[in-house]
Amino acid sequence: MVLPRVSRLVYRNFKVNTDPASLVILVGLPAMYLVFFGFGFGDLLFIAPGLMAFQSVMAGTVGGGMLWADRRYGMLAQLLVGPFSRLDYLLGIMLTTVIFGLAGAVVMYAVAFALLHGVYISPLGWGSVVVTITVGSLFFGALMLILSALVKSNNTYNSIQILVLFFINFASTVFYPDTPRLPVILQVLFRVNPLSYIANLVRAGFDGTLAPVDVFYLIGLLAGTVILVVLATRTYMRSDISYT
Amino acid sequence: MHQDTSDAINAVGLVHSYDGKKNAVDGMTFNVRRGEVFGVLGRNGAGKSTLIKVLTTLIRPTAGKLTILGMDPSHKSEEIRARIGVVQQDESFDFTSVEGNFDIYGVLWGIPKAVRIERRERLLKEFDLLEIRKKRSFDLSGGQKRRAQVAREFMHDMDILFLDEPTVGLDVIMRRNLLDLIKEQVKGGLTVVFTTHNLEEADYLCDRIAVVESGKVIALDTVENLKRLYGGKRTVEFAVEGSSGIELVRAVEQSLNGESTLKVLDDGTALVLTEDPKKALRVVVEASQKLGVQLEWLNVRKNTLEDVFLSSIGEQRSGN
Ligand SMILES: Nc1ncnc2c1ncn2[C@@H]1O[C@H](COP(=O)(O)OP(=O)(O)OP(=O)(O)O)[C@@H](O)[C@H]1O
Ligand SMILES: [Mg+2]
Repeated sequence: MVLPRVSRLVYRNFKVNTDPASLVILVGLPAMYLVFFGFGFGDLLFIAPGLMAFQSVMAGTVGGGMLWADRRYGMLAQLLVGPFSRLDYLLGIMLTTVIFGLAGAVVMYAVAFALLHGVYISPLGWGSVVVTITVGSLFFGALMLILSALVKSNNTYNSIQILVLFFINFASTVFYPDTPRLPVILQVLFRVNPLSYIANLVRAGFDGTLAPVDVFYLIGLLAGTVILVVLATRTYMRSDISYT
Repeated sequence: MHQDTSDAINAVGLVHSYDGKKNAVDGMTFNVRRGEVFGVLGRNGAGKSTLIKVLTTLIRPTAGKLTILGMDPSHKSEEIRARIGVVQQDESFDFTSVEGNFDIYGVLWGIPKAVRIERRERLLKEFDLLEIRKKRSFDLSGGQKRRAQVAREFMHDMDILFLDEPTVGLDVIMRRNLLDLIKEQVKGGLTVVFTTHNLEEADYLCDRIAVVESGKVIALDTVENLKRLYGGKRTVEFAVEGSSGIELVRAVEQSLNGESTLKVLDDGTALVLTEDPKKALRVVVEASQKLGVQLEWLNVRKNTLEDVFLSSIGEQRSGN
């Protein structure tokens, strides 16, 4: 009986818990970025899978923002005295996050497809893309949920989120390849950044260059995600649901 | 206290502490019968909302025994929550219109579409929300929000409805309307737990009232019994100009010799709750003449719940 309940929460999340303006920014901005590249400002084939991977970060932001808003505007407490458990609520957000990440990636792909007049991904490649973005969305979703569960003030939440996003996005292989020409410090940041691995995996799926070693990267990402999800669940389950 | 499984709620020695030091709910024992409107009356910070949060399984009791609809919330909380409705003190809305909020709430409760629409239309009408149905919930006035939030709760069926200060922010007419609407719903056999700091309201709506102070139930009875129990049938009020009031109060207290309850309010008005208003009047007049102080006013009236409230809190305070 848990699934129908969680699916009602997911329905709500999509229907009333995502505001259209921020969706336009979250998906529309990367799409515009792609279009710019399409006009010759860079390598579209490199950036397109990067931005598909980047959607996992966007999805995580949306997921964390939902918990934050629901607590701020009283709906979390209201849902939790209704027919939902704390775990139902968390699963609802996680599921919404994954759907959001996958949908965002598909939008990025569609834009790239149109700009390149067709670019095809093999079935195995798609498998890698879907699995990686699912795991990646959960990773960043969990990260942002921890932030939402711990931080109550709007300003602090936004500042920390911007800071985290800045480092994650720019010290990653989403926008630039990891080459020996980069300063060492940046190379290190690139390699400790989970988004680089997500981008590399999606890119390998996109380019059809998946190698056996990618399985290890995926396992590593999965392990990190499990740890973060457990941490997020514990933090959230223990957090004070009221907003003060 | 005996455990009656036919009670809607049964609490024995209920405690909740937020910080492990101070108890916001400090050993409450009471029962709520099925089909009754049970009032929880107390001043700001008395512990009403904390009690509601414990009763609605939002927070766990630190100690004590609690049974809701015959179930133990520590391992049946989901079953309990499926059968209760809760209007919390804080507002809670989704970012959409009033009717959108009703609709999504119905979806969350798993109400079939046809029933959902029928209920939404009926409630919008009954609670006088038709004109603002398309307005975004966060753009409503305070009173409109409160009405919408109470109305929304009736989108689903329930056995117990918890209302934490549902009338705050409503004007006199809307307040009475809302109370009448709740009364109407109660006729169908609904059990209601209702918190307020408004005595008239409690008097109007409730079958029984628990007066709560500092996390404790300091009185629990029907409104009529409470009025009778605390200080007889009449209240003699008096006030004097200037600072001589204290002397007069002392003199009156002495003459009454503990037969009646005496209270002094913050504005200096003194109340004597008494079974024998004639004697109390005579005592006040004689004492004022003896001390030579000028009575500003003197009045005899029927006890209100407010007098009960004040005198029971007074006893609690002086007992500490
Ligand atoms: N989340 C919390 N953490 C710590 N203390 C709290 C919390 N919520 C309430 N309290 C404290 O518990 C006590 C009871 O508060 P509660 O909200 O239950 O009072 P109340 O009777 O509902 O008051 P009001 O009429 O103002 O709504 C108060 O001393 C309050 O400061
Ligand atoms: Mg309160």
